[in-house]
Formats: sequence, C-alpha cells, structure tokens
Amino acid sequence: MAPNEPLVRWDWVLAHADEIWQRLLEHVTLTALAVGIGFALSFALALLIRRYRRLRDPILWAAGVLYTIPSLALFALLVPVTGLTPLTAEIGLVSYTLLILIRSILGGLQSVPVEVRETAVGMGYTAATLLWRVELPLAVPLIVGGLRVATVTTIGLVTVTALIGEGGFGYFILQGMQRFFSTPLIVGATLSVALAGLADGALVLAQRWATPWAHPRR
Amino acid sequence: MSAPASSSPVRPATTDEGPPAVAPGAAVEFRHVTVRYGGDRGGSQAAVDDLSLTVSPSEICVLVGPSGCGKTTTLRLMNRLVEPTIGQVLIDGQDVASLDPVLLRRRIGYVIQQIGLFPHQTIAENAGTVPRLLKWPAERIRRRVDELLALIGLDPARVRDRYPAQLSGGERQRVGVARALAAEPPLLLMDEPFGAVDPIVRERLQDEFLRLQRALGTTVLFVTHDVDEAIRLGTRVAVMRQGGRLAQYSPPAELLACPADEYVARFVGADRALKRLTLMAVGDLARESPPADGSAASHTMPTVSVAASARDALVAALTSPTRAAVVVDAAGRHLGVVTLHAIAAALAPQGAWVQTSSAGTPAGPGRAERGSTGGEG
Repeated sequence: MAPNEPLVRWDWVLAHADEIWQRLLEHVTLTALAVGIGFALSFALALLIRRYRRLRDPILWAAGVLYTIPSLALFALLVPVTGLTPLTAEIGLVSYTLLILIRSILGGLQSVPVEVRETAVGMGYTAATLLWRVELPLAVPLIVGGLRVATVTTIGLVTVTALIGEGGFGYFILQGMQRFFSTPLIVGATLSVALAGLADGALVLAQRWATPWAHPRR
Repeated sequence: MSAPASSSPVRPATTDEGPPAVAPGAAVEFRHVTVRYGGDRGGSQAAVDDLSLTVSPSEICVLVGPSGCGKTTTLRLMNRLVEPTIGQVLIDGQDVASLDPVLLRRRIGYVIQQIGLFPHQTIAENAGTVPRLLKWPAERIRRRVDELLALIGLDPARVRDRYPAQLSGGERQRVGVARALAAEPPLLLMDEPFGAVDPIVRERLQDEFLRLQRALGTTVLFVTHDVDEAIRLGTRVAVMRQGGRLAQYSPPAELLACPADEYVARFVGADRALKRLTLMAVGDLARESPPADGSAASHTMPTVSVAASARDALVAALTSPTRAAVVVDAAGRHLGVVTLHAIAAALAPQGAWVQTSSAGTPAGPGRAERGSTGGEG
C-alpha cells in the first residue's frame, strides 16, 4: 500500500459505479438462489424426517459434515468436477445452509404446543391440513430465525466464491488483496456487510407481516 | 300458552312437557371395552377394564376418579384418539370403529383443559374451525360464529378479530366451548374443561355450561377429578377406580345417598350428606307456617331464598336461635319456614342397609336430627 494513499479513494468508487451495481446483482442472485434452493431441500428433508423418524440422525449428521468442510477446500474439490461455474459456487453455498435450515424447520414444527395439535386432530384435521394450516404457520418465527442466520452466513460466504470466478462484492475484496489497494477491499467488505444487514432487516419485517398474531396491538 | 309450572331446579317437572321432536343429542354406549397400552395380552395393566355404560341422548355423563383411573382414555375412545383393545364403542348404535375417524371427529365437539385454541388465528377463525373443515359457505360460517359468540356471552364485535392471547383465561375457555359447539354436534367431549380457571370463574362457567346444555340438548361426556363438579353437572356420574374399572354409575343424588361400596363412599367424601343438600331445593323442604306475626323471633330468623339449595338453608338455620329459617321468594315475600328437623328428615337414609353405621334398623329422622344438632351444640 502506498504510504500517502487514503484508505478510500472516492474517485475510484464513482468511476466504478456501474461495476459495483453489477456485482450487487450478482451477490444478491447467488445468495437468493442458494438460500431458496437450500430452503426447498431442507423443507423436503424435514418432512421426510417427520415421516421417518429413523432418518433424523443420518440426515442431520450428513448436513453437519457438509457444514464443517472448510469452504475453500470444498470449492477446490468441486472445481475439477463442475468447473469454474456458478454451479460450483451454488453447490457449496447450498450445502452450508442445510444444517441451519433443517434444524430450524424441525424446531419450528416441534414448537407447536401439544394441546393445539391434540385439539386439531380431535376436531377432525387431517395430517395434511394440520401441517399446512396449523403447524407451519406456528413454526414461522423459528423458521424465519433459521432463514436469517442462513442468509447472513451465505452473503458472507459468497465473497469467498470470488476465488472461483464468482463472488459478487468478493470480487472487489480479492482485487484489493491482489493489488495491495485498499479502496476496493474496503468497498467490497463494507457493501457485503451492509447487504447482510439489509437482508436481515427485510426478513424481520417479513416475519412481522406473516405473524400478526405474535405481536397483536392491544 | 299456559303459565310455566314451577319446578325444582334439580328434579325435572313431573308434568309431561315432552322432549323436542328430534333429540339433538346422540346416544352413547360402551360395550365391554378394555384398553391396554403396549401389547394386548396379559402383561400390561389395563387403562380401561371391561367398561360397559350407556348414556341417553341429552344427558351429561360425568366420568370422575383419581388420576390414572382411565377417565381420559375412556373419553378419547369416543372420537377414536384411542382404540379399544377389546369391545365396542357405539354412537347412536353405530360402532365408531366402522366410521372414518376424521369425519367422526368433525361430528363430535372436543374441549380439553389446555383449550388448545390456535394462537395464529383470530377468535372468529378459531370458532369457525369445524364449519370450515366441513366446507360451509363463508357467509354461513360468519353468521354462525357471531351467533356462537353471543351464545357464550362474548360481544362478537369486540372479540371477533382478536387473537387468543388478547383474551382472559375465562374468555378463552368460553371460546373453546364455542368452537366445540360450532357445527352443532350431537355429542360433546369435555376433559377437565374448567380445571385451569380460578374457582369463581369456574363456578360461573359451570352455570353457563349447564344453561347452554339444557338449551341445546347436546349429549355430553365430561371428565373431572373433582367430585363436587361431577355432582353439580352430571345427569349421571360414573365413578372410576385405578385400573380403569367402573365403581358406580348413578345419578348424583343416588351416588351420595347409596354409595355402592367403601371406595365410592370414601371418594365422594365424608361430607356427602352436605353434598346431598346442595342437590335439594329449599322449596321442597319448606313448611307452611303462620306469616310473620311481627314478633321479635321472626325478625331474628334468617331468610333464605326459595331458589337456594337446602345446604344454604342449613347454614341459615344453624345460625338461627330458633333452628329455622324463613323461606322467601325473589320479592322477599314470606313463603314458609324450613327447620333443621325438616332438613335432617330429608337426609334420612332410604336404603339403610348400605349405610355401614346403621345396619339393620332403618334410622328415623329423629335419630338423624339428633346427630346433626348434637354435633352443632
């Protein structure tokens, strides 16, 4: 880093406004796809576990193993198979959401009070109506809790995929590191953090909207 | 229209008013029902053991007993939350095992102590649960819900759009009952429904429940561990004992007057004579007497309403120097006098041989009266 270089050069920021916008779109797309696909998979797996209790431990074990693989190593292992493509990035990102999301969906469904389930069945709810009309709505607060953690984690992880040619704001961070140039590094990191904060706030608002019963106006 | 016959609040009027043309309550029968959990042979103890009893349409059958006596299991046999190991459960002569459990449950109201209102649904949505499952048109559900809320004494405009968390415990319990009655079921199952509210609210909910049940004619199976509640609410009371066996199945007055055995006698309590008095009306015990002659004695006599129970009269008479109380109507008019002697006479055992203390000789009223006044003086 040059001795008299300011930490952030605003002229660089202005000159790269278009690219910053592109990278934002990329970052959001990578994150949304990963959390969306991860949620769909986790939901299916959670329902499977509900149906076949014995699958609970093996599925959670597998998701736990995936979660512990260092992200750099995972991407490096995948590149020979799927190449430097968004697919490689998504496989890694999705696998890191599974443990958090499966646990939160299972926890949400378990949080439904026994007496609510008991009366619902006693009044003639079928298993399917019970799930969709009673259990899932009541599981929303815990499920959204899991989604918030998964989303914030994924937004951070997306920056690592810059190493395999994706990366969103991670691209700037990598650029800054390679060129000993602080401006893109700080811009990339700051925007990534800001995006995580915004996404988290949006999910909190979405939950309030979806669960008016949890905080009624008196 | 003829003037309504004045009848005791306990005993139905002897004049034949006739039941409604179509009995709105279901007939229920348990036929030699045994339930064993975990394996159906010998080893495991039965939760319900060879239970046979019938409930006529529009009756309230109260199942009472200590915890672990199988009363809740018995209730849950009705809507197939529990299946019998042996025996049959019939509703209107049909074996419930032959009916689709989901459709069966939509025809049977179900209330439990923890209520189990859906916290994410408004009161109106909660109350309309079963009609919604039965796919009633939305407009009909809306009208029915408002009607129900009014029926249970809640202002529909105030509570309709609220969530359960915004209501008091007593209000939530009422909504639980409303929800169970929404689709006009011929049978209502209630498992300690008033167990979690304070005694004052409980008594009010019991009164409202009795009024509602008389108006609707729904057959009710009611589980409680509280003998007083059983006696207060039951048309007939089934006392159960550990191991899921039926100890006695009788109307409350008979249960108190002639307990079948030592267990039932202990279970209904040493004060069962007092409990019997709560089932008797003052009006039935009052004697004609010269109206108040303005003397000091009649002024100092306590008064008791003709609508009160004989137990209230007993308390009034015990505290009176003349050992008697004046019976008055709602307007305070003198109707007669009830004496300790009359109250004791009403308690005279009818089947003396079941009373362990007075085997052989039928005890006369005099003896019983000496017993009670002796205890007081």
